Parts: sequence; C-alpha cells; structure tokens
Amino acid sequence: MAWRYARWTAEHALPIGVAERRDLGTRVRAGDVIGAGATAGNVVRLAGARRLGIAAADLARLLRVSVGSEVVRGTVLARTGRRFARTLSAPTDGRLMHLTADGDLYFAPAAARWIVRSTLDGEVVRSDDACVAVAGAAWGLSGLAAYGPDAVGELALGVDAPTDELQPSRLDVRLGGRILVGGARIAAEAITRAHACAIAGLVAGAAPAAGLRVVYGNAITAAGSATRDDSPTVLCLVGFGTAPLPREVFAPLAALAGSRAAIHASSARLFVFAPADAGDFAQDAPDLTLAGDYGAVRPLANGRATAGEARFASEVTAEALRCGGEVIPTANVMPFDAER
Amino acid sequence: MTVSTGPRASVELGQTARTLSRGPVGAVLLHAREGRTREAVLRVALAAGVEVRSSIAAADGRSFVDLAQQLRDAHPDVVIARVDRAKGDELATLVEAVRLGCAAQRPMPHLFVLGDARAAATLATRAAPIPGETFATDADAVAALRALRRRDDETPPPRAEETERAARNIASLAGTDTLVVDVGGMATSCVLARPAGEIVAVHAVPLGVGAGADRVVADGGIDRVRRWLPTPIDAPALLERVFNRARWPDAVPTSPGALALEMALAREAIARALLDGAAAGLDVTGMRAAPVVALGGRLAAFPRAAQSLIVAVDAVEPSGLATIIRERAGTYETVAVVAPLWPRRSAVIRLRHAGGETEQRVARGGFFLMPAKGRVGLTATGANLRGTVEAGGLGLLVDARGRPVDLPQRDAERIPTLARWHAAVSALPV
Repeated sequence: MAWRYARWTAEHALPIGVAERRDLGTRVRAGDVIGAGATAGNVVRLAGARRLGIAAADLARLLRVSVGSEVVRGTVLARTGRRFARTLSAPTDGRLMHLTADGDLYFAPAAARWIVRSTLDGEVVRSDDACVAVAGAAWGLSGLAAYGPDAVGELALGVDAPTDELQPSRLDVRLGGRILVGGARIAAEAITRAHACAIAGLVAGAAPAAGLRVVYGNAITAAGSATRDDSPTVLCLVGFGTAPLPREVFAPLAALAGSRAAIHASSARLFVFAPADAGDFAQDAPDLTLAGDYGAVRPLANGRATAGEARFASEVTAEALRCGGEVIPTANVMPFDAER
Repeated sequence: MTVSTGPRASVELGQTARTLSRGPVGAVLLHAREGRTREAVLRVALAAGVEVRSSIAAADGRSFVDLAQQLRDAHPDVVIARVDRAKGDELATLVEAVRLGCAAQRPMPHLFVLGDARAAATLATRAAPIPGETFATDADAVAALRALRRRDDETPPPRAEETERAARNIASLAGTDTLVVDVGGMATSCVLARPAGEIVAVHAVPLGVGAGADRVVADGGIDRVRRWLPTPIDAPALLERVFNRARWPDAVPTSPGALALEMALAREAIARALLDGAAAGLDVTGMRAAPVVALGGRLAAFPRAAQSLIVAVDAVEPSGLATIIRERAGTYETVAVVAPLWPRRSAVIRLRHAGGETEQRVARGGFFLMPAKGRVGLTATGANLRGTVEAGGLGLLVDARGRPVDLPQRDAERIPTLARWHAAVSALPV
C-alpha cells in the first residue's frame, strides 16, 4: 500500500549548539520550531579545574552556568573559595560548549543561529541534545530517496498527468512556500528554478541522478542526502531518471492538493495533514519493475503469470514473470512500498 | 521548552538498549599524526569489514566543534582509535569531540581503543559515558568488530569469514599463495592467503555491484566506471543506471548493456578495494603476484567464464603467471591461466602440452587466448616468463597490455580497444 493514514514518528537531528528545544509531550504542528541554537565561532579551551585548583570531577558541581548556556562577557562560569575566591569568567559573549574529562571548558562565540522545524503534527516523544522526535497521525507516502533539508508547505500540483515532466516554465514565485508535485521526472533546471522561486519542496517519480549531483554535489548517493543548508528539497518516490507515478499514488496527490504537507528528508517521506476520511487513498499500488538497462523504473501492468526459468539476452538465467508479452526476471519486480 | 542542556545532559544521558542500525557497521577512525597509525587502524577496519565513514587525525586543523559535528553527522556505530605509549594524550581532544558529538546518539557508539594497554585504558576511561573497550591485538579488535556486526544485524552478514576460509583452504591445497576476490552487492573482498595459513584481508564495505554500486561511483567517479564499458554511453545516463541498480539490490541484468555495467562496476569495486588495501599498508603487490586467483560472489556468477576472467584480469592486474579459478555451485573450476608479459619489442610464447607444441608471437599490447588443455609447459623468448601450469577451460590468456592496464582517454580510441579485448575472449554476448 503506497498511501497510509497512520501514526508516524519523525526524528529531527539537531546540530551541536542547541539552546532551546521542545520538551517531551509538547504538542507541535508541522512547521513549528522544535529546536534552536547557534553554530560556534572560534572555539577556545579554558583551563577550568586547574585554574580553580580543584579536581576535574568537581568542576561540574561548581559551575555557575550550565553547559550549553549562552552568557555575556565577564559572566562568572565557576567560582570556588570564600574569602580568597578563585573564579573563571567568560572571555567573550558566547556559549559554554563542553566540559572535558580533564576539567577544562570549551567556550565559543555564536557565529550564526539555526532552527529546526517539525515535519509532523503531533507530540514530542524524544528530546535531547542530538534529536527531537515528533509522533503524530498523517497521511504518509514513503519515497525512495530525498535530498536537501526538511520542507513544510502547501501541497500543489505542478503537472497535469503522472507521466509528465515538471517543466521549469511552470514554476514562478507565486508558488513560493508550496510543495510541488511533479510527474515522472524533475530535471535539474526545475530543481534550481524552484529553489530560486522559494518553492519549499518537490515530489516526483524520479529525478535525474546527474542533475541531483549538480545541485547537491558529487558525494551524494542513491540513498539520499538530508542536509541542513539552504538548498532545494527533492523527494524521489520511485527511482532515478524517469519513473511515471502509478495512478494509485498520483490521484491522492491531486486530491490532497491544497492541504498542508511536509517532506521529512532523512526518512524520505511525504506527510500530508488531512483527515483520515479525506478520501479512499489507501489502495494497493502496482508493483514496480526496473528497465532492462536499469535506466528507468515503471509501474507493472496487472495480469501477469509465472514464466518459470527464462534465459535473457544477457545469457543470464533467472526465475521470470510474463506480463503483457514481456518476460521480466522476478528479481526485477518489487512492491511499491518494499523496504529498499 | 527546555532552555540549554544543563551540565549533565551532553555527556551523561542514560544509555539505551544498544541495537545497531541495519546495514554495515559504520566506523569513524581516530589516529595520530603519523601515517603508520592511520594505516594500522585502517587495516583493522578493512579486516573487520566495517564501513569507514570518516577518518580523523590528531593533527586535524578544524575546530573542536567542527570535529564534533562531523562525528555526529557520521552517526558511527563504533569509533576505532589507536594510541602509542609515548603519545597517549594525542587523541584526548578527539575523544572529547566524540563525547560532544556522539554522547546523545541513540544507540551510543562503542569506542574501541587499540595500541599500548595503559594509554588505551586511559583513553577509554576518558570517553565515559561512551562505552570504551581496549584490545591488546588487532585480531581481538577485528573479532569484536565482527561480533558487533552480527549481534543485532538482521541483514545477511558479508561473506568475510567464508571468503577467508576459502582462501586458507585453497592456499593449503595448492601449496602456494592464493588471492580470493569476492564481489558482492555491498562488499568487495580481496583476501591473500599463504600456505602456512597467514591471511591479508581487505573487506571493502559498502563497495559492490548491487546496493554498493552508487558508492563505487561516489568514491571513484562515474568516469572510472564508464571507461570499462565497450559501448558508448554518456555519463548522466550511466549515473541513472548505477543509482537505480543501487536501490534494486537483487536485480538481474537482462540486457548485454546491463551486464557490461555490472562487469564495469565489479572491476572498479575490486580496484577500489586494492587501493584501500594499499592505503592501509597491506601487501597489495603480493596479492597481484599470487599464483592462484579464486573468484567468488557476483564476480563468479557472470554467465560466461570469460566474463569473470576479463574482469578479474583488468581489476587485479596479475603480475605473474596466475591460474584463475571461479566458484560454481559450491566448488571451484579452473577458468584459464593468465600470462602477463611486457616484451621489449615482441616475444614468442611456446606451449608444450599433451596435444603437441604451440608457438605464438606476441607484440606489445597483445591480448588473446591460446587454447590449451591439461598440464602445459610455458616458455617465452623475449620476455621473462616460464613455468608449468594447469590450463583451464579457456586455455592460456596472454596479456601483453603492460601494468597498469592503460586505457585510451578518448572514446573513439577506447571503445574499439575495449571491444577488441572483449572479443578476444568472447566476453560479451553480441
């Protein structure tokens, strides 16, 4: 089943330097800030326990501010003694980053602010320095790979048919903030233009791998690449190159246009926030098959029969299916929602 | 809303049940400034078959927070460090970066420390609350890493142990050095076994012709794969095929083009594995000189023996007479004997076998099969090559292309050259 109304959990990784994050059990909506912090500037190591003349293990007890706190220049970070006190002060405005096992402190000025937004309506089920996880109910569609940061916006159609390619000429600034649904393919030109037009994200059957490399760099792989930088968000649902969307996948996308939606990049999922009874979307999608030259993926028509062992043009012999006069290796057929 | 994290939060979170994520074990390597410590820790990672997600030296010039962020983004299952007695504190800052970056990770990574026992124990203690373990020998660390992989991973384990066992057995039976090359979907192994039982192993993960195909391209570049294709194809179209192949781990190549792509990926995966081995200071020269080369996994499963043969010869580049065998249905069959030579001008090869005597002139760049069966005595005039070998089903492959095998840059020259080599051994269906 491609579309599913279910309770999902989305984990949102936090960079180092978190200053605020939502508490466990807090209700949030997709797009709400669930974590905020600052990236570190020039980090300095301050002699802590040694300067105060105490054991390293005692420094945590004597700290006047907690690790992770933002302080102004001159703030007393730790103090010991009464009449002849020894103190450790903040050398600049900044953040106390880390307490070492030796009793030293890493301190850094804030270089830039960052925020992390939720991609689900729901409640916070995990909240720590590394991650804030939100669990909530939504219509969800699992994709193959996502690239770029998480995206939140209103779902909108960018093509008329599931076999169409999303044309750059259809993208303009009036679509800013939306998550746009392409058809079988989104070329690199459309991805970069969408980003320039402030379109929140793109969803399609496939994107050209070479185009993705142009946008996201040569290090990307087929597994996707969730980032935090200012780059476009692309969700490939089926494969790379060209991959028409099955009707069972595209029709709900069209019907849900106008709803709030989010792309969770690290799990390559599209969440749409619409009532559970918004439509009869939870239908079995047809299986997918890989083209003989691996260049494309397409939905497989119904009406197939086992063909036993078959020998192909490559001289490979494998278990096969017969579908509409075509013989396909069983291994090259996969359910739409198979874990890959 | 939680404001700031408190002095305890970043380093003293309660530990959770330690279950590894699916797929290969991800490792970050920490090592001292010297290249030899990097080699030593990389050797352990390659022998254990873990995925090296990052390698950080004590001399790394980045800031402490940048290092911690890199460690957090790598999301390692294990951090492997190597310390020297005299420089035990050299890695202290990196271990602090591990604490800052990974202490809140769930599950928390393990810290494996190798090297001098006292320095290792001190370093492991500093890492608290990250669980640290110390190892007296590299073999202990490799065993622990493999156990870590098996404990929670539901995916089939890489064939590392199986490949090493096969290499030992063949080397013992043949009484000579044996290289086993096994290419899988997500792992490529090159294991050199000596008759006495000594093993030199590279298990490069995730490099392969299936789920690891995209990593072969990410590591080496698409042109490294494209150069092995005997038909013209532009890089963007090829990249799409590689990415689709990677997300379709069990796919079967039905067209000659797809089969040629898998052969190209296998060549490059083996070449990358050997490069990794060289970077770890392993005996890659010994691997190339092994008199027996056994092929396994997808490399042995190509429909024609000639396909396995040409891929192995192109990727391994044997430097001496080598008998190529491949795994078929649980046993090994002899494919051919490779006779590499680089004559000054031209050479004459003479084969003496049960059927009589065969003589063939070889020019530089020559690449062809000489039919022969059974035990064959080989001599060459004009090249340093002599021996007695057991010819396989395809006979003797004369390879006078030189080392390393040089491919023309331009498609107009490269494609006919590749087509000629493939045709010489009947490696591709027409």
